[in-house]
Formats: sequence, C-alpha cells, structure tokens
Amino acid sequence: MAADITKELSPLPDRTPEPAFSADELVWTAAEQEQMEVYKKRYPTNDGAIMRGLWLAQDKYGWLPPEVIRLVAETLEVPYAQVYGVATFYTQYFKERKGKYVLDVCTCFSCQVCGGYDMLHHLEEKLEIHVGETTEDGLFTLQEAECLGACGSAPMLQITNGSYLHNLTTKKLDTLIDGLREGKRVPFVSVTLPQDADDLDGNRRSDVKATDTYHAPPVAKTVK
Amino acid sequence: MEATNPTSKAGDWRNYKRVLLPPVKDLHQLEVYEDNGGYKALRDVLSGDKWDPQSVTAEVKKSNLRGRGGACFPTGLKWTFMPPVDPDVPRFLCCNGDESEPGTFKDRQLMEYNPHLLFEGILIANYAMTIKTCYLYVRGEYAQWIEQMEAELEKLYKKGYVGENIMGTGFSTDIVIHKGAGAYICGEETSLMESLEGKRAYPRIKPPFPAQKGIWGYPTTINNVETLACVPLIINNGADWYSGIGAEKHPGPVLYGISGHVNKPGVYEYPSGMLITDLIYEVAGGMRGGKKLKAVVPGGSSVPIMKADMIDGVTMDVDTIREAGSMMGTAGMLVMDEDTDMVSFLRRITHFYHHESCGQCTPCREGTGWLENLVTRIDRGEGNLRDLDLLIDLCDQMEGRTVCALADAAAWPVRWTVTRFREEFEAKCKPAVFPTGDGATEAAVPAT
Repeated sequence: MAADITKELSPLPDRTPEPAFSADELVWTAAEQEQMEVYKKRYPTNDGAIMRGLWLAQDKYGWLPPEVIRLVAETLEVPYAQVYGVATFYTQYFKERKGKYVLDVCTCFSCQVCGGYDMLHHLEEKLEIHVGETTEDGLFTLQEAECLGACGSAPMLQITNGSYLHNLTTKKLDTLIDGLREGKRVPFVSVTLPQDADDLDGNRRSDVKATDTYHAPPVAKTVK
Repeated sequence: MEATNPTSKAGDWRNYKRVLLPPVKDLHQLEVYEDNGGYKALRDVLSGDKWDPQSVTAEVKKSNLRGRGGACFPTGLKWTFMPPVDPDVPRFLCCNGDESEPGTFKDRQLMEYNPHLLFEGILIANYAMTIKTCYLYVRGEYAQWIEQMEAELEKLYKKGYVGENIMGTGFSTDIVIHKGAGAYICGEETSLMESLEGKRAYPRIKPPFPAQKGIWGYPTTINNVETLACVPLIINNGADWYSGIGAEKHPGPVLYGISGHVNKPGVYEYPSGMLITDLIYEVAGGMRGGKKLKAVVPGGSSVPIMKADMIDGVTMDVDTIREAGSMMGTAGMLVMDEDTDMVSFLRRITHFYHHESCGQCTPCREGTGWLENLVTRIDRGEGNLRDLDLLIDLCDQMEGRTVCALADAAAWPVRWTVTRFREEFEAKCKPAVFPTGDGATEAAVPAT
C-alpha cells in the first residue's frame, strides 16, 4: 500500500539550541580585534590563525558554543564549517559549559602506576561528582586527562588549561580545593632538575618563587 | 660502588658536563644566555666567511646528530632533502614541541630552562636551509611555558636576533609560536602540518614528503625541540666533539626522562649509550622502597616493553636497544616495580590510543577501540584465553595499514605486553572450558 503523503508530518525537533550569548555580547573589544590581526599576520592564510582565534574566544567566553565559533569564523573570513571542525577535533576547546575550574587529572601511563586514579577518586569523593561532571555551584569540573607531559612529577593535574600541580597527594588536593573555593589562584610552579640539587641550590630560576622538586612517587592503591 | 660497567657506551658519565641544560642560574633569560656565550654560534654562522648554508648542513651531517623525536632519523640528511632554493617559493621549518607521547617530558624542561638554545638552533637551521619562517608548534597544555617563551621571543625581536636583517647581516627570518589544543596526533609530522594550516589534524599520505610538499604545499622540514637545541652546540664545538659524546652510531647528549617507581625521577642529561641499569639504579636512585624491578618501557608508551631480565647490558642508543627487543623512542623511560598489574597498565595505554586516534583510517579508529574493549574485558576477569590471540591478530591487522604510525604505536604495546607477560594475562582470563565427552563441561585452570 502506498504511503499516505497527505498525512501531516510531525513537526521537526528544534535542533537550534538557545544561544548562550546574545548578539551584543558577541563582539570583540578593540584590543582583541588587534590581537586577531596579529595572529592573522603570522600565517600565509587566515586558516592558520583559527587555533589562536579559538583560544582567544575561549579565554573571553569560557567555552565555545556555535555562535562563538561563528564569530571566530567571521572574524577570520574562513568557513564556519572549517572552524567548527577544528574546534571539535581538539580536546582543549570546550564545546560545552564547564565549571570555573576544570581539573584535568592525568591518569595516563606514568601517572596511572604512580597513583593518578587515587587522586581522581579522592577528588570525586571530595567534590561529590563523577569524573566528567560539574559541581552544582558551577565551580569545578572534574576530568580524566591523557598524558600532560609531566611524568616525572606524577601524579599531577592541570587547572583549566593553565597551571600544573605536581607530585599530588590527597592533602595537597584538599588544600587546592579549599584554596580555589576562596578564590586563591595557583601560581606557576617550576619543577627543578634533580641534577641541579648540588649546583644551584635546587632552583635555577630567580624569577619563580614556587618550585617543586621531583619526589619518589607514592604507591598507587588503585590503578583504575 | 663498582666502576662503570665496561659495556656502557657513555664513557665517564659520572663526570659529564651538561651542555643542553648547563648549571647556570636564570639561563632562560636572554641577558644571562648572552653572557654565557649565547648566540655566538648564530653570529659566527651569519657573519664571517667560515660558514655558508652548505657547510652548516655538512657539519650537522658530519656530527651524526639523530632526531630526538623518536624515530632517530639523521638530522643533517633530513636537511639535504629540501629542494634547491627558489626565491619565489617559500620554505618552512617546523619545530615539533608537541611532546605528547606518554612518558616523555624532556622538551618541556628544555623550553623552560634553556629556550634560547632552541631559538638559536632554529635560527641556524633556518639559515642552513634558507628558510624565512619557522613555526614552533607547542602543545596547548604547555600554556604557561608558551607565555614565557613568547616573552623571551619578543626580547629577541627587539634585540635584532630575529626578524629583518639579523645582526646587520642581511639574513631575515621569523619564528612563530603556534599553540596546539590537545591532540596527541599533532606530534606526527604531517598532521602537525595540517594542524598548523588550521584544519583537523588528519595525517597526510607520504609521499609526497614534507620536504617536497609541506605546509601550504611548500617545502618544509620538521625537527624535534631537542634536536634543534643540539645544533648551536655542534657549530660552537665542532662535529667531531659532538660525535665523540656517547655511543658512536647515535652520539650526543640525551635528555633522559625517567619516571615511575624510582627514588629520584626526573629529566637527566647524560651522553647517549647509557646502560639502562645505570640509569635506574644510579642516576635515578634505584627502585622505590627497595622493590624488585619488573618492567621498563624505555622510550615512551609506544615502544615495546622490556622485562627486567632483558635490560642487562643494554645501552640507550638506537642499535643496541633494537637488538635487545625494544626501541630508543624519546628516551622517556618508565620504570615499574614488581607490584604493577600489567593488564591494568595495558588497559590504560589502549584507552589512551583509542582516545587519541584521529579517526581517519578504519584499522586504527576501529582497531584501537577493539584493543581497549578486549583488554578491559580481560582486566575485569571476563576475558577468554582466546582473546589473547585475538589481540595479537588485531595487531597484525593494524600495523602498517594506516596513513600514519599511530596504529603501529597503539599495536606495539599490546603485542609486546601480551607476549612478554602472557602468564599474567592468562591468569586474569576466565578458566578455559573443555568438553568432557559425557555432555557436561568441565572447567580447567588456565595453564601457567
């Protein structure tokens, strides 16, 4: 029997989500506009500046909803689809709203065998969320990260694509969370080289106060 | 303590004087770097009659410097692959600072503590290949180190070491720091180029090689951070000095990144050809808590794992370690003690590769997922013995069947961990079930 084409179709689902930012918010300041021009000049075509443009947008808006991605595309005069493709390829671009502090706990390779999962599970209990979730107050998002390139100071975590925190212990995590709740920022920490211990009093930089040395890693209780 | 093992190729490594990360306070600042002979190599190369682009390349070739990014390809030879200079065709250098191989953390220390050595190396390489622009690709996670390097780079521009007419010699070149955004695949050279061009980082088919068609289709050379940092040292001290350090066929200083269950993990600079046992027991202070060594992954997560009884007399240089059944890789060494669960360890590695596969080629996109699922099943105690053979079979179907080497890198740790620690995997599998002939089945303990 032929399909009844006269029957009214059910309405299409509304696939366009409510924009997170209004048109008034989606403008660059003069300084940002200038920065974009600097990025553009660094590459033979504007495509090269997409990644930097997305970084600038993420720093400004906190995450990258479609309308922000479109703003970057229009600024750089490249197709929206290409910028969208780039934004969705790389893990550090946030495609959904995250907490104010994104805690990327490394559990990969060296961090796994040195207790990365202990740290992750401790944070899960302390923040009362599962990995991948955001706390109700919107302050913390907990994530499991792939190798962050600080294997000698495992276990470690990164805070919102910025500061590294090395040689984690549960005590250190408690201090971190309590500090962040009070709005204390985490400074850049320089990890000194073990070979410098005798030569340079363990620190080869006079412009960085916060330093850490490599420690013998803790014993991992859980590995998954 | 006994004398250095005679099979070590690192010579008198206990009295080795560091050159990549020399003990100088505040060396990361331009002024201090200049006071310590910085940019002398660049000045020599650009001014005076001793050097021209060909002779710089020849010197690097003679020094036998081999790439420090994992493949150990001779750097000087790579430079000669660039086509003859055509003033109408731009040429590019890419410095690969993506450093995402698990277990590798050496470049970050170099970029923090001696970035000017890297910049100087880049400038000399640009001169040697007549390149106008170098893109220094640094992974996005290193945001704070990128900021620091950009500040130092700005000083360089102000002082005239980079940019137009460098030091009045007429040579002009630029350095641009490109910030990645978290993708392991960007460490692969062709996908790094795609990423630079503002695309999803899908690796390209080779040939054409980057030297023929690189970024934006123009000739491009891609070198690792540590590799380029060696170049000023070669110019200052000569190729013979460099090739005299460490192992004959793989000479030079190496940044060993030792992590895992040792008392003193960290980045150490020593000559190539160090005994693995020296690195673990002497350099890194031995095993944590006096435990027994179980396994070593000598060069980042993708190289074959070595059992404790395989490392005696093995030195860290490309040929020796290949003969011993592993690879030099990035010299980022993970040490594991007797309590490590190899199945769980492998499960996390397979998860990593599944997460990081770019999804372009089917054997890798699907295969890495299958590897993870199978190893996870075994880890949960729900696996069957035949899964182990299925894993090896999967590896056979992944290796060498994709555009880039990520599928190989994902398959090797599975193949070698399952082969070399098979009894542990068998112990975690469900007992095999044999028919008994009377209609019932009988469970048998897996063979150990």
